[in-house]
Amino acid sequence: MSELTKPVAPRTTVLGRWRRTLGNLMGTRHGAIGAIILLMLAAVAISAPVVAPYTPLQQTSVSLAPPSSEFLFGTDNIGRDVFSLILYGAQSSLLVGLGAALAALLVGGTIGILAGYFRGPVEAVLMRVIELFQTLPVIMLVLCAVALFGSSFSLLIAAVALAIWPMEARLVYGQYIKLREREFIAAARVADLSTTHIIFREILPNAAQPVIVQVALDASIAILIEAGLGFLGLSDPSMVSWGQLLFVAQDYMDTAWWMSVFPGAAICLAVIGLNLFADGLNEVVDPRSTRGMGGLQ
Amino acid sequence: MSDLAVSDGAPDAPLLEVKDLKVHLRVADRLVRAVDGVDFKVDTAECVGVVGESGSGKSTLIRAISRLMPNLQVDELSGELRFEGRDILRMADRELRTLRRSRGFAMIFQDPLGYLNPTQRVGRQIAEALSPDGRGRSEHRRVLDLLDEVGFADPGAIARRYPHELSGGMRQRVMIAIALASDPKLLFADEPTTALDATVQLQVLETLYRLHKERNMAVAIITHDLGVVAELCDRVYVMQAGKFVENATAVDLFERPQHPYSARLVELSAHRLDFRGMQQ
Amino acid sequence: MLRFILQRALYALPLIFVIIVVMFTLLHLIPGDPVQSLVGDYPVPPAYRAVIEEKYRLNDPFVVQVGNYVVAVLHGDFGFSYQNQRPVLDLILERAPRTILLASVGFAFAIPLGMAIGVVAGTTRNPGTDKFWTTSALIAYAIPTFWLGQLLVMLFALRFGWFPTQGIGPLISRAHGFDWLLEKARYLALPVLAFAIHEGMRFARIMRASVIDTLSQGYIVTARAKGLSRGQIIRNHILRNSSLPLVTIAGYSFGSALGGAVLLETVFTWPGLGLLMVDSIRLRDNLTVIGVVIFSALAVIVMNLIVDILYALLDPRIRTAG
Repeated sequence: MSELTKPVAPRTTVLGRWRRTLGNLMGTRHGAIGAIILLMLAAVAISAPVVAPYTPLQQTSVSLAPPSSEFLFGTDNIGRDVFSLILYGAQSSLLVGLGAALAALLVGGTIGILAGYFRGPVEAVLMRVIELFQTLPVIMLVLCAVALFGSSFSLLIAAVALAIWPMEARLVYGQYIKLREREFIAAARVADLSTTHIIFREILPNAAQPVIVQVALDASIAILIEAGLGFLGLSDPSMVSWGQLLFVAQDYMDTAWWMSVFPGAAICLAVIGLNLFADGLNEVVDPRSTRGMGGLQ
Repeated sequence: MSDLAVSDGAPDAPLLEVKDLKVHLRVADRLVRAVDGVDFKVDTAECVGVVGESGSGKSTLIRAISRLMPNLQVDELSGELRFEGRDILRMADRELRTLRRSRGFAMIFQDPLGYLNPTQRVGRQIAEALSPDGRGRSEHRRVLDLLDEVGFADPGAIARRYPHELSGGMRQRVMIAIALASDPKLLFADEPTTALDATVQLQVLETLYRLHKERNMAVAIITHDLGVVAELCDRVYVMQAGKFVENATAVDLFERPQHPYSARLVELSAHRLDFRGMQQ
Repeated sequence: MLRFILQRALYALPLIFVIIVVMFTLLHLIPGDPVQSLVGDYPVPPAYRAVIEEKYRLNDPFVVQVGNYVVAVLHGDFGFSYQNQRPVLDLILERAPRTILLASVGFAFAIPLGMAIGVVAGTTRNPGTDKFWTTSALIAYAIPTFWLGQLLVMLFALRFGWFPTQGIGPLISRAHGFDWLLEKARYLALPVLAFAIHEGMRFARIMRASVIDTLSQGYIVTARAKGLSRGQIIRNHILRNSSLPLVTIAGYSFGSALGGAVLLETVFTWPGLGLLMVDSIRLRDNLTVIGVVIFSALAVIVMNLIVDILYALLDPRIRTAG
């Protein structure tokens, strides 16, 4: 509770605090494993054109070939190399995950800040809007957007962001409500600092860490949603994605298990990586969240 | 000393005897010697106080003695803990539960709201603690009797209430009723009045004192308030930094404190005691 | 209590209204011929065109159109699906019971599963047990339902042949009584299994966190001081108090599932609302899409209402606060 007693936000140490956070993160087992998985996936996504034996469009001579030394994960119904497809798929999955999470942070963060900082009617209206969005099931919301406006890659990101921003908004709003009552904010007000200054220099650095945790979780949800859209055959047809591979696999379940197993495992890995990363970060940010009681005696 | 030598009924055997108790905790990777080699005893039907400032280890002491410690953060828990001659530190869980259920020891806490289940009616929470030996009376009857005993005018109505519908003083009375339900020989009270309003504090203390006398029940009370000690206790331990610095009768402590720390505590509380004395 | 329910219901009403308006507005934002966007990819003869323009007042100002549509929906008229040649409401009413069946049976398994695992993982004194369940729950959470569905189909339907791969079984069954039930159960088994694993493990995560939170409460110490056994403490003091957060989340996700378990229904070709939604999207049958969305929003709103009531029943503090 020592933060409570500090009259001024410890601004000078923000950078140091982040460095320490990162250090501690790698110290937690979850965080380290998560970070390694994510780095690995990022490396795969970036280096796909170099590493992948085939391009996504290239058709080999054999279709539906089982995994072998030549085709590590087998080939699909039109003879494409599943291993290469998965490497390329990492690009779109990670891009959608990251893009949608950041877009959600931007939209949700802004609305959360506005709702949290200004009270009264602004707060009431914005909270109702958030509530409205949360009334529609996430998948319905995304499907609706895609159904009505199509599924080019950027629209896809927008659609996923549309579905997940309310969570971000609620979190940021909650952080603000908590922080605006804190003493150093009151001190800043008394010192007659401008509203923007208070928001961006005093509150933001202090609200950032739980928000980052939420962004990582959002990214994992975004990847799952994107995979779902792909699986429904509604993702951008010009990009390879893991979900899309599962969509095709649906018709070959009886003959080619590898078309389903490997892309699915890739989705799993990405989601697990992001969740472990978030868990580790959470452990560092809020040590109380880890269990200390040792169960029921 | 042989374990078996101490029998239940021996006239000079204390009800509770603690020897060289050590409780070392691990808090954020630091070792805290919360209780560091303490000897402590409570005789049958005696009222004993433990005073000390917050952080002196007195709460940890009572939690360790009543075996209500959260386990994982304990680094070392050693010494000898005997209730009626039985070793409670190394006692099996089942045996310990039997002791808590009937004619053993019970406990009340500082913050009665947090220590009552918010989703259960008060009556049910008391009934749950009743000792198996009902002497033929119905559970409901016994609950009402207990509520009556702790000073409620309308036990039937109180039993149907939820904790949040009661005032702080009423909740603490309910806690006491729960503690009495097992018909304990020894009642641990951890800062029982600290969270209450000044006027209510006195009522609760009076209730405790009355029950102590009527039931011949020993009471071990932990407090930072020497006033409480003056009201209730026969004997007082003064605790500082995990150790007892003084063990004296209440009268001796107030009139001839031996240790400088006790002397300071007595002096500090003198004004408040005078004030309270004038009120009565 | 009655006042509490009415109050909550009144709060929900404008939400439904707003959703209908938003949906219709979205429909209008679709670029191109408004008649075509209402009908979908379906050739529109001039006679139909006139009927639609008349019905949705497409030549009137937008406000009139919205008002007109809202009134129609409130009368249960969600429009006509030209793809299916049936009123949208008919389609929804035909599909809804199947989705409700799947979601209900799924939840009937997922909730006890999640609660049991959550309580075990939260109360165990063995760190290994806790670790095992938290890891399992994380993995189960990361597995997309539809992939889990595919895996189950490949293993239990295609490899072992124990269950059918898809569908809900023959519409007109020759089996009766118990046999009929068994037949239905065979078709339900895999979708329900996938559902229960995915949702159940998600609930387990929530329940575990909640149990751990409850364990740190004072009244658990009181319960121990009373000399209650582990089982008694769990039954009387942990279960109910820890269920509160789960009620909220499970209620919401049940509401969502009632509106169509889109992905799961697609894997198993379970002809419920979710599959209707997906098929309608592919055919650009927008009136049906919007009908399903409104229905699912309604399901969530109703479930949220039920959750509020349930919450008040479980937590007396809320009841008295009103």
